[in-house]
Amino acid sequence: MSDPERPANESSDRLFRDDTKFALGRIAVFQYAAVAIFLFLIAGFWILQIRDHETNSTLAERNRIKTVPMLAPRGKILDRDGRVIVDNQPAFVVQLTQENLKLEHLAPIAEGLHLDLDDLKATVKRYASGKRYSPIPIKRDLSPAELTFIDSHRDPGTFPELELVQEPRRLYPQNGLAAHVIGYVGEVSETELNSSDFASYSQGDLVGKSGLERQYNEILKGVDGQRRVVVDVAGREHQVLESQDATPGQNLQLTIDLDLQAVAEIALEGKKGAVVALDPRDGSVLAMVSRPAFDPNLFAAHIKAADWKALTSNPDNPLINRAIQAQFAPGSTFKPLVALAGLETGSVDDNFSVRCGGGGTFYGRYFKCWQKGGHGGVNMKAGIIHSCDVYFYTVGNKIGIDGIAEYAEQAGIGKRTGIDLPGEAEGLMPSSKWKLRTQREKWYAGETISVAIGQGAVTVTPIQLASAIGGMANGGVWFKPHLVKMAATADPRRENWNLDNIAKVVSGMYGVVNEGGTGTSAAIPGITVSGKTGSAQRVSNDLRKSGKLEKDELQDNGWFVAFAPRENPEIVIAVLLESGEHGNLAAPTARDVIKAYFDKKTRLSKLTQPTLALIQRPGSVVGQAVSPPAVSMATSIPEDH
Amino acid sequence: MDLILNRYRNLTALVAAILVQLVLLAYQVKSNTEVRLIRVWAVTAVTPLARLLEGGRSGSVNFLKDYFVLLDVREQNKRLQTDLNRVQLENQVLRSELDTAERGKALSVFQEQSGMKTVAARIIGNSPGSNGRVVLIDRGTGSGIQPGMAVITPDGIVGKIVSSYPTASNLLLATDPTFAAGVLSQKNRVHGTLKGSGNSNAIVDYVQNEQNVEIGEWFYTAGDDRIFPKGLPAGIVTAVRPGRTVKEIFLSPSGLQHGLEDVLVILEGDHKPIPDLPPPNQSVHLQPLPPAEGEVTDPLNTAHNTSNNRGAQTDLDREVERTRRIGEDQKHVFGERGRGAPDFNKIPDNKIPDPGAAKAAPPPSPTPAPKAPANNPAAPSAAPSVNQPRP
Repeated sequence: MSDPERPANESSDRLFRDDTKFALGRIAVFQYAAVAIFLFLIAGFWILQIRDHETNSTLAERNRIKTVPMLAPRGKILDRDGRVIVDNQPAFVVQLTQENLKLEHLAPIAEGLHLDLDDLKATVKRYASGKRYSPIPIKRDLSPAELTFIDSHRDPGTFPELELVQEPRRLYPQNGLAAHVIGYVGEVSETELNSSDFASYSQGDLVGKSGLERQYNEILKGVDGQRRVVVDVAGREHQVLESQDATPGQNLQLTIDLDLQAVAEIALEGKKGAVVALDPRDGSVLAMVSRPAFDPNLFAAHIKAADWKALTSNPDNPLINRAIQAQFAPGSTFKPLVALAGLETGSVDDNFSVRCGGGGTFYGRYFKCWQKGGHGGVNMKAGIIHSCDVYFYTVGNKIGIDGIAEYAEQAGIGKRTGIDLPGEAEGLMPSSKWKLRTQREKWYAGETISVAIGQGAVTVTPIQLASAIGGMANGGVWFKPHLVKMAATADPRRENWNLDNIAKVVSGMYGVVNEGGTGTSAAIPGITVSGKTGSAQRVSNDLRKSGKLEKDELQDNGWFVAFAPRENPEIVIAVLLESGEHGNLAAPTARDVIKAYFDKKTRLSKLTQPTLALIQRPGSVVGQAVSPPAVSMATSIPEDH
Repeated sequence: MDLILNRYRNLTALVAAILVQLVLLAYQVKSNTEVRLIRVWAVTAVTPLARLLEGGRSGSVNFLKDYFVLLDVREQNKRLQTDLNRVQLENQVLRSELDTAERGKALSVFQEQSGMKTVAARIIGNSPGSNGRVVLIDRGTGSGIQPGMAVITPDGIVGKIVSSYPTASNLLLATDPTFAAGVLSQKNRVHGTLKGSGNSNAIVDYVQNEQNVEIGEWFYTAGDDRIFPKGLPAGIVTAVRPGRTVKEIFLSPSGLQHGLEDVLVILEGDHKPIPDLPPPNQSVHLQPLPPAEGEVTDPLNTAHNTSNNRGAQTDLDREVERTRRIGEDQKHVFGERGRGAPDFNKIPDNKIPDPGAAKAAPPPSPTPAPKAPANNPAAPSAAPSVNQPRP
């Protein structure tokens, strides 16, 4: 019954079944493997094209389309006549583009650009945590050799992350001229970036750091532009897709007059002090100098650590604007205000006289006059002319501290003037209320004696003193001091002071300069300069006697405040010479500045009447003077008829 | 196993190909090279062939030249059979002179005398897509060549290596817009940056309008780009004009003026002082060594300091200068007691000196004509070419 074919068939079937099983099993394995591979690839594609699409497309776009920033120049700073005080000059900044940045390139780049590698790494790290694609400025003050190094190594095969951007750089006057008025610019700090004032700024942006640069930063800064260009792999531009020009910052026209500023700058060379000249008729600042100064050009690029350290560790504090920040006792320059307070309060009249024997005893203590032999009989005018301390001890004692304080504060002593510069100091005008508030003590009448001659607790800044005396000479009208023309205020502050009383004080100040007083070195023939000298102790008598101070610190400060002409003054000037010994030494600086003012006025007045001069002198050379055409025609027509 | 491989050979081939790709990809990633391996292999594979073809080409050209010369000789022989011996002798003399003037010989002379460690290389082709401003040379990493190395001829700078392969390298020519090198003018020691302009000329950038550069003046490498040693000829000024911010100076790169066949790649540079005289007539393609003299004062600093000393001024600087002049003129010391205030309307007798006056001074007297250095037997007779003014 057996089928001889059967075993063979069975064997064949089994073989067939086994092959099928084998093939099916293996095919299944390969199928799974293929599926796994495709899943792997799909996952990769998903990561590349979906999850990181934004990043990758940005990278690809940035590789093809490059945005080239066009940095806006800051506005120029001009003097009242339009002369340039601060300009811009072309310069370059080298940046690292983050998308091309390779950390292993930092060492050769630092070497080539003379940068500290650790500093460079820190900068890169700081930026890496910020905006992902914002370029990293690494150096601004590039030497010709560094420019060459960058240009010759920024090809795609070497350091493609190097990028050179033209950036207008601030050009400040040399040797620290007007440095404190102008201030300087620098990179915005992290602290500033965290404040609302600088919310629109990014790391690496330049902002005003001090002076007018800071005060008017929003006006001076422009709006950066940019160009979007198509570049090839070598970075060569092929097409400009979009161009948005940079908008330069607005120019700033100051009230400063360079003719006067130059004289004040030269006069203070090698000295320590300040000069402030104002026009009391509108509060415009004609000149402002503080010495020692610093070179703002050091900050224009990026100040070196050694330079910064040298500036900040300098015991003379060159960064301080003494014109608005130095607070010193005004000494005898305070006496005109005391005299006025005496007249206004009725405590004394101008005939009130005192006998000066070289000193006087008040409240059991002997107060010396600066004139050891005494001045003899002294009335108000003589008291001001000769700066008799005994006279003002007596007047001050009669007025009392609060009477003095009332009129001094009306003149602006102990208050910021509100000048358009950051960091103005307040000064101090003591009073009984002030002492009670700050020291919880009552005012002793004996303290008034020192205040009456501008010593004791009273302190002023040069700008305060100039403003106070200028307002008084202006008839009790004070305009807010300002450096920028557009900051002028139309409404001045007025005090109802008696003009006769003012005239009596001014008469004394005129005598100081012109009638054998203490400030005769400020006299200018033909110009009625009025002024007051001051010598103020910087340290107490006890400290002076201790022997712990240097000679320079022991010397008195010299002050001089003056205005001209005597009536309707056009210029008021305060000069401070730290350790200048006596105000008489400060007076020549005021004299030179005032003379420059009036000489310029004469020069300008001649320029406005040229045609008449030409007609009167037919032989004159035409073209020596330039005048507006309107003036020329108006004067010429009648003559033709 | 063979059965399985045979049966599934398509699949096996696919898997093998994928594996090879993955391995190569892994190697590429791990080796962290910026040049693709396929390119390296392709260049390595093609370079011997290219060299062979170049050899064949030059051999053929030489053969043809020889053929015509010999043909000419034969014709002369036919016409002047009596002078056969003399003509053959003249022919040998001419051949000898030609051999002496060969570039390879010139290069070897220059190599010996330059004091720099260099490698001679031959141009074997253009790099694709470079508009002829990147060329291929027949030396690569095997000869010690690395990216960033300077390439010169005895006539001057040629370019720099931008990528290198085992047997070849890409040379970026000085006319490419992405090329830059620091240069100094010979006569006025003006510092600038030589940049390619995309055509046969180059430009010198970052030279202030106030600085003096003359047509025909030579520029030499300044050595501050960290690529070229100082003192190599860069080119001669062909045009100068004041620009909006900086002077526009056009330069004819001296290293590219006589065609490119053989070049030197500088492996170790040697800074030389800028020679006081322009290079002699360039017709022989031999660069004399700079005169043996002490190092000159660093002209970089001089140029830079001059610029700084003159200083950009504002109107306030000028006003201070004017006021100071008034004081000096009237013997007045500002801020000091004395004879009273000065008259500010009195114009000073002596005018304020023009800061640019020094620049306007007449140029120094011409130096004697250059002499051929004694140690250079191949130097030509001394006179400079017509369009090269004496310093």
